[in-house]
Amino acid sequence: MNEQRRQILQMLGEGKITADEAERLIDALERTRPESPPAESRSKARPKYLRVLMSWSDESSGEAPGRINIRIPLQLLRAGVRLTSLIPPVAITKVNAELDKVGVPFDLAELKPQDLEELIEHLDDLTIDLDDPGSTMRVYCE
Amino acid sequence: MIPQLVTVRRRRRSGRWSRLYVPVVPVLLVLSPLLLLAVLVTCLVFRVSPVGALRGIGRLLWALPGTRFEYEQGRTAVLVSVR
Repeated sequence: MNEQRRQILQMLGEGKITADEAERLIDALERTRPESPPAESRSKARPKYLRVLMSWSDESSGEAPGRINIRIPLQLLRAGVRLTSLIPPVAITKVNAELDKVGVPFDLAELKPQDLEELIEHLDDLTIDLDDPGSTMRVYCE
Repeated sequence: MIPQLVTVRRRRRSGRWSRLYVPVVPVLLVLSPLLLLAVLVTCLVFRVSPVGALRGIGRLLWALPGTRFEYEQGRTAVLVSVR
């Protein structure tokens, strides 16, 4: 309860103003108060899907024009990412060794589920636009 | 929510569409003993926690609704949709 409303109620309680006057004052107070912005505008609607759109029409190669349209729920990505915690340590060692062989010194054991969660969270802002004379590709969240 | 229906549509070169509707819950119920056994054996072989694996598969299954895959090239087209 704000201070002005409290004062009005106090005056009513002390008998300085009538109930009608108090009501009018509270109405006036509410009219003068700036309207708070709706909750929707404050928090951006969270995307639910990762969308991959690709189309190509490369006539030089003789292939027919094509189109790929994929919609993946972000929740599915989260669930998939959590499955990585099930990878047995032996497999992780093997994968690390193979990655090292091809020049990617990356330790999968360092990849924590919370890091992956964070990665998925930040996919919201991801937009990839690729334009080529024969093809276009777009990756975004919606 | 668990997926209810998987729709697979395919357009052949002739231009004819063929559709396949898979009701997920009945299929899962029928195949559940086999699937459970397969998961348990796989977990034993790869030394993975069966509870964790089942939980992970459940999460994947629950997150599937809304997935859509469309591929089209020339007269051939494939559409897979999970509802």
